[in-house]
Amino acid sequence: MIPMSRMPSPDEGAAPRFEDALAHADALYNLARHLTRNAADAEDLVQETYARAVRAWGVRDAGASLAAWLFRILRNAWLDRWRRDRRSPLDADGDAPDAAPSSDAWLRNDVELERMRGLVAEEIETALGTLSEDARTVVLLDVEGFTETEVAHVLGCAVGTVKSRLARARAALRARLAEYAHDMGTRS
Amino acid sequence: MTCEDVRPRLLDHRRGRIDAAADADLRSHLRGCDACTRAYAAEATLDELLARRLPRYAAPTALKKRLSLLGSRARPPAHRAAWMRVAAPALAAGVALFAGGVLAGRATRHDPLAALAGEAISDHLRVLVRDRPFDVESGGPHQVKPWFAGRLDFAPAVPVPEGSGLELQGGAVGWFLDRRAAVIEYTLHKHRLTLLVFRDDGLAWPAATQVRGGGPDLREATQRGFHVVLWRAGGLGHALVSDLNAAELREVAVKLAAGS
Repeated sequence: MIPMSRMPSPDEGAAPRFEDALAHADALYNLARHLTRNAADAEDLVQETYARAVRAWGVRDAGASLAAWLFRILRNAWLDRWRRDRRSPLDADGDAPDAAPSSDAWLRNDVELERMRGLVAEEIETALGTLSEDARTVVLLDVEGFTETEVAHVLGCAVGTVKSRLARARAALRARLAEYAHDMGTRS
Repeated sequence: MTCEDVRPRLLDHRRGRIDAAADADLRSHLRGCDACTRAYAAEATLDELLARRLPRYAAPTALKKRLSLLGSRARPPAHRAAWMRVAAPALAAGVALFAGGVLAGRATRHDPLAALAGEAISDHLRVLVRDRPFDVESGGPHQVKPWFAGRLDFAPAVPVPEGSGLELQGGAVGWFLDRRAAVIEYTLHKHRLTLLVFRDDGLAWPAATQVRGGGPDLREATQRGFHVVLWRAGGLGHALVSDLNAAELREVAVKLAAGS
């Protein structure tokens, strides 16, 4: 995989400045877009993230990288929004818990794998959007180049949990993509 | 290593998260196992699709500008004090003309009225372009005002002054700089008006631009063809934005301020 070039943690050396936090705005907005699926809501979520970061700047957890800290704030802000709207992220449309693929059906043959390589951006985004919010988040954080320890900080869970969630989420995503690839094959 | 050992470690292998000895065993297994090789190829394909094909969205420039405005609130006050300590002797040493120019530049960039008006206009524009501008559609102020309860830590008035011609369209919760805001939307003669209500504590409020006899203490600004009127009442800041002409908007603001 070619991981996204996440900014190195500025707080590895001197104490980070707010300008360092602004360097993560694109990555935060990208996650927000994939979570909210809406440009205006994503902007609101990122603005709320930075507003919260400003308020908590003096008590920031120095044990976590600045990026992981900001992503954790965004994730918590997102969950708060859902709670405020009296909905659970896991109950949203298309956010049903991800069923683990029953078998390695996606490994039927190399032809289907090759078809999968032919999927376009819209299909990949749609497939990702069918995953639960939890699964989407862990996949996107992995794509962003976070370590398992950083992802655990963002999600507030153990590293072992990250490992199992990521494996399950990727398996579910592969299964969705394999379905699209299979449909593409039957259409052609 | 068996297939059961290898499959859960394929991603760790790709991320370089397993030690050298286990990595060598895994590679050795892959060389002799077609099924695990295909599983590895599937992991690699997924990585490639996510890295190269999944749309990646960049934050809009307007959002980045708003975020940078928040930055001044994160900086420790010592920075400003240190700057002042350096600047003060320079001013005393008689370079007031030069320093005055620098300060004038800073004042323009940090003009509280311009900053608040710019934020209000950006919020107004976001309301205009949203697919779903309101979180609560208006059935009148008695529907919109109670809707904010529990969503904000203050209770905004939702006035609809009689005879003003204002029609209440709905409301939403948004952000004004670093704080939550009630976003109340009106129309007047087909013009859209956005009223933002937010807590005013800690905000740099602009100095009065003109002395008025009686009436509310308004601050007015025009940017990008939009007019903005600001006022404070009961610990809350208010920003009214529209493309109505300045005089009409001021007239509306006076009526809204009387009810806020």
